[in-house]
Amino acid sequence: MHIPDGFLDLPISALTYGLAAVSIGSALYLLEKRGINESRIPLLGVLAAAIFAAQMLNWPIPGGTSAHFVGSGIAAILLGPLQAMLVLASVIAVQALVFGDGGLTALGANIFNMAIVGVLIAYLVYTLLKGRSRVAGAFLAGWFGAVSAAVACGLEIGSSSIFAYNILITVPVMFTWHALLGVIEGFVTASAVAFLTKNRPELLSKEVKAS
Amino acid sequence: MKRALIVIAVLIILTPLFAYAAELVGYSEPLENIATNLGVEETPFYKGLLHDYTINGLDPYIGTLISAIIGTALVFIVVIGTSHLLRR
Repeated sequence: MHIPDGFLDLPISALTYGLAAVSIGSALYLLEKRGINESRIPLLGVLAAAIFAAQMLNWPIPGGTSAHFVGSGIAAILLGPLQAMLVLASVIAVQALVFGDGGLTALGANIFNMAIVGVLIAYLVYTLLKGRSRVAGAFLAGWFGAVSAAVACGLEIGSSSIFAYNILITVPVMFTWHALLGVIEGFVTASAVAFLTKNRPELLSKEVKAS
Repeated sequence: MKRALIVIAVLIILTPLFAYAAELVGYSEPLENIATNLGVEETPFYKGLLHDYTINGLDPYIGTLISAIIGTALVFIVVIGTSHLLRR
């Protein structure tokens, strides 16, 4: 769901750049004020590297589309929303600047969709559900993270003239396909959380405090 | 940590295989399919240093593998560096 150059109208491009800049700026400000716990820094780096590598793997979905893991959910769960924003935004920036994956004019939108919307929605879902079941909460956080980012993407392209403002096509199509992809995203996220709960519970127990 | 690094290594090794599989089935992402159906084309004015995870003049699958290694390392360095500046 990386939007390339040429898909967004200038106002949409500018608006999403602004929203992304304010959000990432606020996250960095808050992180600077609170300080990132030094012992957590390797986890941030490793998770960012893993998300980058995982995003390179495009899974074919029966029916003629493919999609890749997004990672907003697992990052939000393990790192909290602020650090997750930093991690996802770094991944998306490297993809655009080094590999031309996602346009420069759409970098704000891509960061906004996957690093802000996806992360915040996933975090909200997980926070609401983890008291009942961590694994179920993780599954739904993964699903909602990917789907909400896709819907945001559908809204942006559907509000652009080159798509003839076909928002009633772009949003449902993005939603439907990513609702299917989201099952893989949810499964991977839930598996990771289940594994960590059993083997490295300390990574999860700090999840909120470490935000 | 060791296990996490093994997972990352496995993901990196899988990238050329997935690139090959993607070519085989010829599927695209939903966003690209919508664009094709509505007759929308990209206007890429910036291709990136290693466009589309390939390296000029190299076999595309080897290019993908090297891109995966470079990108993963770069993301790791960027995030570790930024986190260090923000450390408590």
